[in-house]
Amino acid sequence: MKTFSVILLMLIAFIEVRAQKSEDYIPLDAVTVFSINNITLLQKVSLDELVKYEFMQELQQELFDGSTSGKTIKESGIDFNQKLNVFYGRNLNFEISGFTFGIKDINELFTVFDDFDKQESSFENIQFYSSYLNHLIIKDNIGVLIRVDPLYSHVNEIADSIWSARGYNYWDRYHYNRYDYDYDYDYDENIEEGYEEFPEEEIEIDEEDDSDIYDVEEQVEEIEDTGDLWHKEEGVDSPNYYDIRDSVYAALSRQNLNQICQELFIDGKNLKKADAALASQLTHNVEGTFYLDNSRNVQKSQPFWYYQNMLPSLHKGLSELYMDNKILGDIRLTNNSLEATMKTNYGDALGSIYKELNDSKFDKKVTKYIHKDNSAYFTYNVDLGKAYEKSYEIIMPLLRDEKSRNVSGTVMAIEFMNAFLNKDAIFDTYKGSVFGTFNGVKKIPIRRVIYSYDEDFNYTETEVFNEEDIPIFTLGFSTERNDLPQIFLDQMANLNSEWQNKGKYWKIDNAILNTIPMYIINKGGLFIMTNDENLAVNNPDGFGADKISRKQIKKTKKSGFVYGEVDWSKAIDHLPTEFMTNDQKEMLDAIRMKSGNMTLTSSKTTINSTEFKLVYDFNDTYDNPGKYVLDLVNSLFVIMK
Amino acid sequence: MKPLRFFFFLAVLFSLSSCIEIIDDISLNDDGSGTLKYNINLSASKVKINSILALDSLDGKKVPSREEIQGRIDHFKDVFEKRPGISNVTISSDYNNYMFKLSCDFESVKLLQSAIKKTLQEEVKDDQKLLDENVNWMEWVNNSFVRSVPDFTIKKVSNLSDEEKELLKQGTYISITRFQRDVKEFTNSKAVLAKNKMAVMLKTNVYSLSQNPDLLENTIYLSPLKP
Repeated sequence: MKTFSVILLMLIAFIEVRAQKSEDYIPLDAVTVFSINNITLLQKVSLDELVKYEFMQELQQELFDGSTSGKTIKESGIDFNQKLNVFYGRNLNFEISGFTFGIKDINELFTVFDDFDKQESSFENIQFYSSYLNHLIIKDNIGVLIRVDPLYSHVNEIADSIWSARGYNYWDRYHYNRYDYDYDYDYDENIEEGYEEFPEEEIEIDEEDDSDIYDVEEQVEEIEDTGDLWHKEEGVDSPNYYDIRDSVYAALSRQNLNQICQELFIDGKNLKKADAALASQLTHNVEGTFYLDNSRNVQKSQPFWYYQNMLPSLHKGLSELYMDNKILGDIRLTNNSLEATMKTNYGDALGSIYKELNDSKFDKKVTKYIHKDNSAYFTYNVDLGKAYEKSYEIIMPLLRDEKSRNVSGTVMAIEFMNAFLNKDAIFDTYKGSVFGTFNGVKKIPIRRVIYSYDEDFNYTETEVFNEEDIPIFTLGFSTERNDLPQIFLDQMANLNSEWQNKGKYWKIDNAILNTIPMYIINKGGLFIMTNDENLAVNNPDGFGADKISRKQIKKTKKSGFVYGEVDWSKAIDHLPTEFMTNDQKEMLDAIRMKSGNMTLTSSKTTINSTEFKLVYDFNDTYDNPGKYVLDLVNSLFVIMK
Repeated sequence: MKPLRFFFFLAVLFSLSSCIEIIDDISLNDDGSGTLKYNINLSASKVKINSILALDSLDGKKVPSREEIQGRIDHFKDVFEKRPGISNVTISSDYNNYMFKLSCDFESVKLLQSAIKKTLQEEVKDDQKLLDENVNWMEWVNNSFVRSVPDFTIKKVSNLSDEEKELLKQGTYISITRFQRDVKEFTNSKAVLAKNKMAVMLKTNVYSLSQNPDLLENTIYLSPLKP
């Protein structure tokens, strides 16, 4: 019996190991991945709320079109015992976004994905559904919702080649129906209708290409071999370049999707398998994890691609420099706080530059200028001088080895400047350490013109001052050379009467937006700019007893190179809603319901990593913790995208 | 000066209130000719305007530069002054206070109205339906002058968002009509007669005007011409 039990346990374990999970279908091209482990938290989040998040924007336009109204994620057929993995990636040719998830009830799932039509699948045991540019791919109990967008730079390149090969010149493309374009037509709303008109059925691409960088000529040939992209229509005098471009777009989109499906479902290649760092991260017993492979972000950027072809030696050196540059993080939810810990990893070379950059002593003088009642403040301590020397030591050899006229010119310029310039004076003046505060809103007199009328309605213009609520900011940096900015200030005062020396501070009239005065304090190893009259006029030597508390100073000092603190209850009402989109305003309104403090700290930077910690103390109880998690995931997604 | 740019950016993001003041001042001679002065005073909104102009785009729409704004104004002037019956056109732009003043002489109210219509048609090519060729908002007949609000301004305002309409509530619209002889009577009860009895003023806020165009509708009757 005991033997049987052991065999049974081993069998269960084997099945468990072999069973595919949602995280086993994250595409290789994903660069950013957010995994929400405890999606039970999300049960109470309504789908309508979910689709408002930025990370859902790419997918949501046709996905949730009213079929979600009043429903929660719990009613979407998603398996809450599996992770929900949101991914985003971009390479030189296309952009992907989507998420993978477990499926508990496929019928319930299609009450949400009701716009998706079943497609013929080229892959065995894989169900394929599409709704315009979104695709839902189902294998067993796993769903992959994915959108693949070829980059227009790449699409245009191929379309241009085809256009040119057919004997049309650049300007011909604008001739066709140019003046019939309906600028008022709502293409977003009617895009599906337009999409149907694309002759995509004429294009079939059957390509297996392992590289990210396609040869344009080869691709043009492949696309043309598979069918004519454009047929001259009877009665139409000119060809339609845009039909060709749309056809190329559709063909590439399908080709890229096929490539991803082949990798995921046939070849068994996925990001978790390919990257041990992600695999390890996914094992963490926390509410959520995130992953950003910055080395791939850098390598697949356009300048880097240029280097690969034109400056191979430099490309090799920079590739090595950015090797292993990844950001990994965990999201934890406690009784009254949400914590995100992020570890930025990098190789020795890049790490040695960061280590020198961040190896800077905290300048305690700045704390005198941070008021205890501030709404938000940050400090950032770096040593640009040391970082410059280290960068020079590491990057210059890479440049010197490159046999290129342009690079040689750059090397000469840098070498001569390095030899002739007084670097000590430069980096003593601006060391790189800065601090900033947001001190709420104050009434500031603003000059305006009003008209005064006499009894016969003749009018004259009169200048008056009326007070307006203006946000109060202070921004300053540490310096060991107050004498150098002083030269600049003195000379500006000679040239312009709006620059006034008031002794311990300077006042510059109409400096900000040609309306608001700015004050400068240039003394005691600090250079400070502010629109806070109280600070400049009454407290040019600092706020004294009204500065931040000793406890806050200790926390600020103890943090690594960066520290930030926001009191949401004070700051939120002063955010710039006038300049936000409606969606952003709604998100802000949702946050406004919350209060509490957000704190960002960092560890000391080592040769291979720096850790950051973002803690959001709610200061109150909550009944929908999933919203907090999604808010944070969304914020990180926006920052890292 | 990157920190300075950053500082500006913060102020851009956090700028607040706004309002507009418009003075529409027509002086009519007995022969039907006259002078139009149209002043737009945005000095109370200059923080906001400077903030917006510091941005490249806002809510997905490109923000024009000062040069582009001035270009449009110059173009308007070029087109307007070539219209028959219009002369001495001047437009002054004060970008410190955001005050814009148009002044011109006209041979008749009919020609003035036609010039405004044609020039606006030139300026808003993408929205020709906005301007109805047959609608008149000024009429000078014998001893009476009829004023109302051009239909296109109401159409434009109705397209604005609720937030933009809210801002218009803070704006004022002042309409002044001056004559060379005494005003006998006028139909709008909110209008005020000048002490010299030769001018009529109507004041309202821009939003109310958009909601109720009759607010500025006024028929002014003048005393008979002295032989």
